[in-house]
Amino acid sequence: MGPPKKGGYKGEKSKKRKRDEDEAWVYEDDDTNDTGEEAAVPNAAARDAERNDQNIDEDEFGAKDYRSQMMLKPDNASRPLWVAPNGHIFLESFSPVYKHAHDFLIAISEPVCRPEHIHEYKLTAYSLYAAVSVGLQTNDIIEYLKRLSKTSIPDGIIEFIKLCTLSYGKVKLVLKHNKYFVESPHPEVLQKLLKDPVIQECRLRRNVENESEEFITQVQDKKNIPNFGSKPGSSEQPNDGVTSVPEDITNFYDKIDNEEDEEENALETVSFEVNQEKIEIIQKRCIELEHPLLAEYDFRNDTVNPDIKVDLRPSAVLRPYQEKSLRKMFGNGRARSGVIVLPCGAGKSLVGVTACCTVRKRALVLCNSGVSVEQWKQQFKMWSTADDSMICRFTSEAKDKPMGCSILVTTYSMITHTQRRSWEAEQTMKWLQDQEWGIMVLDEVHTIPAKMFRRVLTIVQSHCKLGLTATLLREDDKIADLNFLIGPKLYEANWLELQKRGFIARVQCAEVWCPMTQEFYREYLVCKTSKRLLLYVMNPNKFRATQYLIRYHERRGDKTIVFSDNVFALKHYAIKMNKPYIYGPTSQSERIQILQNFKFNPKVNTIFVSKVADTSFDLPEANVLIQISSHGGSRRQEAQRLGRILRAKKGAIAEEYNAFFYTLVSQDTMEMAYSRKRQRFLVNQGYSYKVITKLSGMEEEQDLMYKTREEQGQLLQQVLAASDIDCEDEKIPGEGVRNVASGTRKVGQMSSMSGADDAVYYEYKKGNNINKHPLFKKFRY
Amino acid sequence: MADNGSSSSSTSAVFTLNKSSNLECKNLHDYLKTRPPNVLEKLYNHPTICLAVYRELPELARQYVIRILFVEQPVPQAVVASWGSQAFSKEHVYVSKVLSELSVWQEATIPGGLLGWILTPTFKKNLKITLLGGGKPWSMSSALDTDNKARDVSFLDSYSLERWECVLHYMVGSQQQEGISADAVRILLHAGLMKRDEEDGSPVITRQGFQFLLLDRHAQVWHFILQYLDTVEQRGLDLVECLTFLFQLSFSTLGKDYSTEGMSQGLLVFLQHLREFGLVYQRKRKAGRFYPTRLAINITSSAANSRSITMLDDDTHKGYIIVETNYRVYAYTDSNLQVALISLFTELMYRFPNLVVGIITRESVRQALRGGITADQIIGYLKQHSHEKMLEEGKDPLPPTVVDQIKLWELERNRLTYQEGVLYSQFLSQADFNVLKEYAQSNGYLIWSHKEKRTLVINKNAHEDIKKFWKRYSKGS
Repeated sequence: MGPPKKGGYKGEKSKKRKRDEDEAWVYEDDDTNDTGEEAAVPNAAARDAERNDQNIDEDEFGAKDYRSQMMLKPDNASRPLWVAPNGHIFLESFSPVYKHAHDFLIAISEPVCRPEHIHEYKLTAYSLYAAVSVGLQTNDIIEYLKRLSKTSIPDGIIEFIKLCTLSYGKVKLVLKHNKYFVESPHPEVLQKLLKDPVIQECRLRRNVENESEEFITQVQDKKNIPNFGSKPGSSEQPNDGVTSVPEDITNFYDKIDNEEDEEENALETVSFEVNQEKIEIIQKRCIELEHPLLAEYDFRNDTVNPDIKVDLRPSAVLRPYQEKSLRKMFGNGRARSGVIVLPCGAGKSLVGVTACCTVRKRALVLCNSGVSVEQWKQQFKMWSTADDSMICRFTSEAKDKPMGCSILVTTYSMITHTQRRSWEAEQTMKWLQDQEWGIMVLDEVHTIPAKMFRRVLTIVQSHCKLGLTATLLREDDKIADLNFLIGPKLYEANWLELQKRGFIARVQCAEVWCPMTQEFYREYLVCKTSKRLLLYVMNPNKFRATQYLIRYHERRGDKTIVFSDNVFALKHYAIKMNKPYIYGPTSQSERIQILQNFKFNPKVNTIFVSKVADTSFDLPEANVLIQISSHGGSRRQEAQRLGRILRAKKGAIAEEYNAFFYTLVSQDTMEMAYSRKRQRFLVNQGYSYKVITKLSGMEEEQDLMYKTREEQGQLLQQVLAASDIDCEDEKIPGEGVRNVASGTRKVGQMSSMSGADDAVYYEYKKGNNINKHPLFKKFRY
Repeated sequence: MADNGSSSSSTSAVFTLNKSSNLECKNLHDYLKTRPPNVLEKLYNHPTICLAVYRELPELARQYVIRILFVEQPVPQAVVASWGSQAFSKEHVYVSKVLSELSVWQEATIPGGLLGWILTPTFKKNLKITLLGGGKPWSMSSALDTDNKARDVSFLDSYSLERWECVLHYMVGSQQQEGISADAVRILLHAGLMKRDEEDGSPVITRQGFQFLLLDRHAQVWHFILQYLDTVEQRGLDLVECLTFLFQLSFSTLGKDYSTEGMSQGLLVFLQHLREFGLVYQRKRKAGRFYPTRLAINITSSAANSRSITMLDDDTHKGYIIVETNYRVYAYTDSNLQVALISLFTELMYRFPNLVVGIITRESVRQALRGGITADQIIGYLKQHSHEKMLEEGKDPLPPTVVDQIKLWELERNRLTYQEGVLYSQFLSQADFNVLKEYAQSNGYLIWSHKEKRTLVINKNAHEDIKKFWKRYSKGS
């Protein structure tokens, strides 16, 4: 598993230029010119259970009628789920066996939505791949699913599970004693692989005299599985058997649970050694043969790479879900590569720090902005025994001495940067490339395009990779590729459950409808598309609502962040209301200064930020978020922004909600439709948006701005006079052309092929706002 | 040809609001009110009816009736008004109106020119009989020997439920139940709850029919019976006789059997119809005895009063709908009837043997709204049938955001107001346009105008006037 380590993509490097070393830019998804490399994904991954559904008859009411495909079991009331032939699974959260079923479903499928009562999951090729890679067997999956289901399982689904799991997860690539081995508990699979001439080539035979067809057989004895704080072994709840749980479910659950924990306990495995130079070839070949190699790192037996002296501080206590996620990663005493999905504010960095302290080898942490590099360093110092001498930051502004350090924190762009670097940076890069890293932690892994990610992997050699993210979600669905680049999703937390247990803030989401004033709406209807955005963002009623909300929350003593993607609006709002603001061109030091003030200065309770603050700005104090303009219908942005206020608030348990998330939309404009689309992800996580059509108390509030017609008229003139570039969202260099609607995807391709987006961004950095071609602008919405 | 320019090219664009007739659900009063006085007179000849009517009167009205029941001459209206405190004069006016509408009392002049109230003689006479006893025995009260196959209450409940559901199932066109008689179909067609399909002539459900399905059980039965009574005369049955019998049924005891002896031929036919809908139970057509069911006993009591008598659907029907905050609807049901009801306002996605998965969308709700179903009806239905898990937490049974959103979807339909108008366009000159616009404006006819396009929309009623003005103007110029 994993991408080629060396070479192969040099040609592309010279073409693609990232001029900027490290910026808090969010890398949006533009993988469209990536097609040449898709061979790295196995064919089976393209399978889709959704297709099983096409010939299903619809009943008279337009629903897909599955009644003929399944039989209802007589004891269905005590079983928790239904499985649809298209891979969707519905689970009753109030069932007595919910806990069992939930753990199982998380392992084998992707959650679709998890509101209060009935959760929906979906079986995909990727999720099944992930299931196998954490040790579940095909037959166990089918058997357990059968037992949990209220009905019989449709044949198509059984077929699908078999197809997707039989060949996966059977072989592992293990680095032990600094030799690479291909290992498997199934000798017949290795036999099959070895029949392939390419793989034959890659095999390394130490002593040729000995008979070559013999495998190295080895009995793995029970390894002491690392503990994270509390004991994982101590079983959770005493099962009193109060409720009528069908016995077969509990029996089987225990079996599966045990297997997961001490799987391979005294398991016989066979392996053969692989020539280190041919790792990349064998990985590729195995994917073609539909036996992708799972990368595992036997860090305890690695003697070549020196251990580093970091430990978790005793004060660092892992929460149950953090521990669970780590158990998935280190389940068999080795480190698996994969992605852990936790909501923002739920303590992703502690998971990362703990993972590094468990592996205890040189660690590399990649994040996407200079600010979060600082924050990661803080986290390491807070949770572990690492001190300044061990942690090295590698950014354009802070270049600590890297040699001999054991934890390196840097940004994606710093690594993939292809322009000329300073001598110092050049040296660091060389050193970095020479190292064999024990673990690589990839923060906000969903934001980087696969293309860039591959480049990181060609530069950095690491034994295991841990991806961290809050939302494994991209509008272009390219996220699936990450599964094969990093590894399967190891764990995904349930937002609503964390909220109920107080690990993250309880957020009241609200959508505030601001009617357009007559004049603005008239202009909105007649003007050309690009200006429309500005008109609905600058709607005086929206301005007034913002001002009212800010005042209201300042009086309550809350800390408020106001988000605006549109820079014109951002500046106008902030300057009018006399509040500090941060956007792209704001310098690093100014940013830190503003953030410090926001944290500690009781006079600064409100800041305005552009989309640069979407990810990784850790603002634990903020508990109110107001969104006045946003990036089209991006579900991910919405979730990321919510994440800014999710960190659990202290001492506010008594209240029903302790954080507030307002989205202001201008009524009757396309903002309404975008807003609906954006909310889908969070709504599926169980959040509900309250629609506010009228802010009570706004009438009594005196001296809100833009009260009179004249003032509104002046504002309208300003808006109409604004240049075209003002009408757009902030342009983020390196971002390419964003794909908001399907139409813009094409534009993105065209302009990036001609290098247009690079040119735009280059000029932009110099301060010149070069207009985009009007034709392209037109397609934006 | 300036003349040609405006008036001949004017196109009249007529917007009519699509008003679908809503289902009217009358209660007993509303029904009796609409009967002609001579029918009421006939009805009041039966003490049972008088009692039923009396029982359903507003409290204040009952008070008045009792106070003047034994007064043999008209009581001055001012005196009646003085019985209540001035603060409740509104109620007084209201009950006076009710009593007059039902012909319970009538106006009479007192010597001296004052107006007074006196109870209608028939009503008075028969109400006295109810209170004091006397009169003829009821047709169904002949003595019976004990039934050797007596039926208990729970049997009757399930029987009536099954029969009634049969009708509902037939309406939604499900095949899983036995059919219903041609008579019942005729009633459904007559009531406008179903209509003949244009192609094959088979009955299909109408919008009113769907609204009917969303009503609670009691309202459904009453509405259905009213429609039935409308057709009674065509069948050669006597309306008064049938009504009397219905009211007698409503005073009967649940779980007791009654004799059919001495019932007229028409009444026996009526009984068979009631049997079909589950209002009465008869083992055999010629059994000579019948059991009234809860459906019949509750029939004349209005919804507000019926709470005291347990309604049958609450305890036998468990809630089965779960509504999630993400607008998903999960219904634990395998009945086509319930699925059909839910599909009125949700988009159904999957159907499992015992579960239906759907989603409430703007489109699906708007479709329901277009069909004349109101947001309150939707919410009411969802609330009424909420799954026990939804009720458990002691909060609202439905997510408030979903309730709000359904209401907002209803409200957003009312943001446009419609006005009929006539369009004037293609003026030959700006001056012509201005003249006409000013004239229209000064008279308040103008609805909309656009200077650049030289287009006016003028109130439809003013069309003639504008035309005349235009003629005068063009001649003058």
